[in-house]
Amino acid sequence: MADILLQVENLDAAYGAVQVVWGVSLRVEQGKVVSLIGPNGAGKTTTLKVLAGLLPAKNGRICFRGQDVTNEASHKRVERKLSLIPEERQLWPRMTVEENLVMGAYPARLRPKARENLDRIYEMFPRLKERRGQAAGTLSGGEQQMCAIGRGLMADPMLLLLDEPSLGLAPMLVEEVFQYVRRIAAQGVTILLAGQNANYALQVSDYCYVMETGRIALEGPSAELVTNDHVRCAYLGATS
Amino acid sequence: MPAADVLNLLIAALLLAGLYAAMSVGMTIIYGVMKIVNLAHAGFMMLGAYFVLELHERLGMDPLIGVLFAFPVFFLGGMLVYWLLVRWIPMSDQPTLASLLLMFGLWLVLQNIGYLVWGNSDRAILTARTFRTVHLGPILIPYIRLVVFAAAASSLAVLELALRKTWFGMSVRALMQNQQAGRIVGIHVERTARRTFGLGTAFAGAAGGLLAMLYSFSPDFGRPFLLRSFVIIVLGGLESFSGVAVGALILALVETLSILVLPAGYQPAIAFGLLVLALVVLPGGVATLFQKRQRLA
Ligand SMILES: Nc1ncnc2c1ncn2[C@@H]1O[C@H](COP(=O)(O)OP(=O)(O)OP(=O)(O)O)[C@@H](O)[C@H]1O
Ligand SMILES: [Mg+2]
Repeated sequence: MADILLQVENLDAAYGAVQVVWGVSLRVEQGKVVSLIGPNGAGKTTTLKVLAGLLPAKNGRICFRGQDVTNEASHKRVERKLSLIPEERQLWPRMTVEENLVMGAYPARLRPKARENLDRIYEMFPRLKERRGQAAGTLSGGEQQMCAIGRGLMADPMLLLLDEPSLGLAPMLVEEVFQYVRRIAAQGVTILLAGQNANYALQVSDYCYVMETGRIALEGPSAELVTNDHVRCAYLGATS
Repeated sequence: MPAADVLNLLIAALLLAGLYAAMSVGMTIIYGVMKIVNLAHAGFMMLGAYFVLELHERLGMDPLIGVLFAFPVFFLGGMLVYWLLVRWIPMSDQPTLASLLLMFGLWLVLQNIGYLVWGNSDRAILTARTFRTVHLGPILIPYIRLVVFAAAASSLAVLELALRKTWFGMSVRALMQNQQAGRIVGIHVERTARRTFGLGTAFAGAAGGLLAMLYSFSPDFGRPFLLRSFVIIVLGGLESFSGVAVGALILALVETLSILVLPAGYQPAIAFGLLVLALVVLPGGVATLFQKRQRLA
């Protein structure tokens, strides 16, 4: 059996007094793509924020590469090669594309490799190279998503938390983004992918968790969930 | 009015603007990174003035060298203040009452230390430079203003370079634009905030030293300049550096040219009038006039 990269046990999370994630447990094996699907407001983004250290865990345990990181600051997790590509991109709008990318290599460990990684990202996304001097806030939605992905990859992550990469994109671009997800996975990066687009998520992932109102409602190998009646009706638009 | 006089005023305004920009930039970066309105800025400017005065009177140090020394000393002082006081205020993406009160309290404390140590009489720094003038044809420039402008402008140029080319500078700009994204890429936000507070304080102290080369001062010295910094930052749109330059230029122009139409007694009201005007008419700063499109990431 492959190594367990990420193990989450009984995670609770809250915004102030309002708890929105209840007892979430999940595991991600090295080299796999795992998806976390669910409807609006299910708590996918919240879960990823807790995993990245942007929101404290109220209860539960997060183990990354065998180490307990539950209470660790976000910058330490990036050092450990756990990176988030957030929902809605969160670029720095008045910094250039290149500055946004380079900042992806901010931790001291990565700085010597920043140049090399940048070239790799430009090779993967030639569009970003063309637009390197442009303010990130003036990119199109698709380009912004590429830039956000590029920035995340600059950190050389072992585990990439990828939140809703297809948000607000035209169908053609959604296809393109998922091509990139496949390519990144093929390079050996483990991915935990959250999103509403169950169709694509199930296609690219090996294993899938279904989240509903803050809890894991269902889980299983993606190939099996595709045939699950509940998943087919609720997420894949099948009529029963 | 002769053209030469207008030209003289315009040059005076430009020289003043450089100083004003250096004086406000410290508040801008602190606000940008921490969303703290640093009212104690006035106190640090006052301390900067006395710092340069003491070095001048006790050691005979040239005030310009004193200003240079103020940078590292106030940088460390600012980091200490951050560590002692500021870090206990929860980080927020909006100014909080707690931070406002803390900085106001700190200003009062600094001011009273000033009274305790130096009394309330007016002091001034006079050197051989103070009364010299430079003639360029019909244009007449007080030499000291030229020197102060050069010092202010070069410190701003170095800052600008640092913000663009160093990892620390990039992290400052990143946190100003989106703090959460900063955490995501692994910026140690508290460390950057601490250094930013040091840097902002360094600029306050150095600006105080520069101001002291032009004006007499007392422990209440920072007050009118705090108001001016405020106006400049609001005009500039709170967290942009080019905004600071534009705001400083506008304020300096209005103040300088108002001499033509307003009695000198009304001078202090000008900054306040501009502040009200800016808040009512251009709450996003002058930059909103130029931003036709800005898609947010
Ligand atoms: N910053 C916040 N403060 C308070 N409540 C929040 C905040 N962000 C999200 N919530 C609430 O937490 C719940 C879960 O939201 P979350 O963003 O994690 O869902 P999601 O599964 O990512 O949804 P979507 O598919 O729409 O992105 C929602 O009820 C939402 O209203
Ligand atoms: Mg979400």
